Amino acid sequence: MPRSRKSARRQRMEAAINYPIEWLEERSGLIGGVRYFLFRKVPSDTNWMQTLGSATLTAFIVQAVTGAILAMYYKPDPNSAYQSIQHITNDVWLGWLVRGMHRWGASVFIILMFFHMARVFLFGAYKYPRELNWIVGVLLLALGMLEGFTGYLLPWDQTAYWATVVGININGTAPFLGPFLAQFLRGGAEIGPDTLARFYSIHMLLIPGALIGLIGLHLYLVVRLGVTSPPWSKEAAGAERVEKPKRGRRGLLMPGARGGIPR
Amino acid sequence: MASRALDERRAQFQRYKEDVKERGKPFYPYAMFHDTVMSLVVVSVIVGLAVIWKFTVPGDHTSTKPGLLGPLYTDKADPGTTNFVPRPDWYFYFLFYLLRIFKWPESVILGTVGIPTILLMIMLALPFLDLRRERRLLRRPVAIVAAILTVLSMGVLTYKGATAKEALASEVVQAVPTWAKREGFSGNPQAVAGAKLFAQSGCTACHTYLGTGSSNLGAPDLTAIGKGNQGAQFFSSYVSNPRQFGNKVMPVFGNLGSQQNIHNIGVFLSVSKGPK
Repeated sequence: MPRSRKSARRQRMEAAINYPIEWLEERSGLIGGVRYFLFRKVPSDTNWMQTLGSATLTAFIVQAVTGAILAMYYKPDPNSAYQSIQHITNDVWLGWLVRGMHRWGASVFIILMFFHMARVFLFGAYKYPRELNWIVGVLLLALGMLEGFTGYLLPWDQTAYWATVVGININGTAPFLGPFLAQFLRGGAEIGPDTLARFYSIHMLLIPGALIGLIGLHLYLVVRLGVTSPPWSKEAAGAERVEKPKRGRRGLLMPGARGGIPR
Repeated sequence: MASRALDERRAQFQRYKEDVKERGKPFYPYAMFHDTVMSLVVVSVIVGLAVIWKFTVPGDHTSTKPGLLGPLYTDKADPGTTNFVPRPDWYFYFLFYLLRIFKWPESVILGTVGIPTILLMIMLALPFLDLRRERRLLRRPVAIVAAILTVLSMGVLTYKGATAKEALASEVVQAVPTWAKREGFSGNPQAVAGAKLFAQSGCTACHTYLGTGSSNLGAPDLTAIGKGNQGAQFFSSYVSNPRQFGNKVMPVFGNLGSQQNIHNIGVFLSVSKGPK
């Protein structure tokens, strides 16, 4: 339909609706960025296994949101930490749900990271040119497990305390760096108020900051380099094209279609 | 040669980009639909776990009793108690169980630092160790074998870590008369008192003694620890401050109630020279 057919009133309304979008686009280019992200092409044979990455991101967002809510009630001090956890679990409205989601979301997050990594490994998706993104992923896994370790102390119950005592002692056995690392984690000679405050800070500021930065880089590289096709796919993107063999020679000299050619 | 391989890889990626441009589908709505469904499943599972966790705890769902998914919390941390179970969250079980395999002190560093560090290094280096372009699994035998071995060993270690039984203080104490008889210290009241304390204080969470207890974190069997004739004083000071002797894994047991208690433990360990 030619534009001139639209009524003047409708044109004015469309302009009014589009104005904020255009305003933002002109000043930031963000709309174009989002549009590029949403409408970029992915191989037509991507499958369900390739949702594990975004599922991991979802689990991370759950952790970030529930963690921020928990931080509103939690008190990182040995005298009140345990009571504040009981308060969250038993008194605060839906506090049990938020804490339970954070507690179990951690496990789900870790499982999904391993599954996602297994998928990438099985697809050979860590190969050129996606090496760097694999490395970023390994760092994310290591940091994610550190989140698990530092978060485990925060309820300040017996399980938490003694698991951390032993965990820190194990860190301390590392050659050269070990004793310094253990000293740094404890914030002193023994586990006490300084340790708890330190773990809290590492757990909710230091590592999450690093995680968010690395996740951003991870996603940037995914968008930039594209998603791989399943290696078994008949129409895998990037697979070498085989010239159609001439009729009479098929089966005699020509190898089976794509038989020996890497995908 | 190397540059030819690189050229081939570049050509392949160029082809990939062209193929996706020609035959690909837009991320929205196709792939995004799958992603959204999967994300909803993930959030539902997390909510479901939280609900089961809270509402299977017996009573009014506020006690320290375990429900289907374990307790909401155990008792408040008490650095003074010694009866503890050093157990991490489940995703560290494979590391935790690795430490049972290596014994203190010769090889425990392999379990605590060596193997995890080597694994991390291998994972980081993977894209540079495997430079072939081939992605189909059946044509990557080394990758398949490595993947199966990794999954199997992590699975077995996690399972073993999950099912590893911790010794209960009340059960261990009942073994004390047998210990005294077999090790021949029945006539030594200090040693018997020390043995009881040893049984009650959670020492058997990591150490074994005449087959009782579980071997954790590389802690040695103490059945014949006194064979070297170091004397009770040595063991008392070791238990009060293991770090002084270069042992950085064992927690400090300086708070066993009294000096007398620490001395009794020392006597008990010094007379433990193996079954007679």
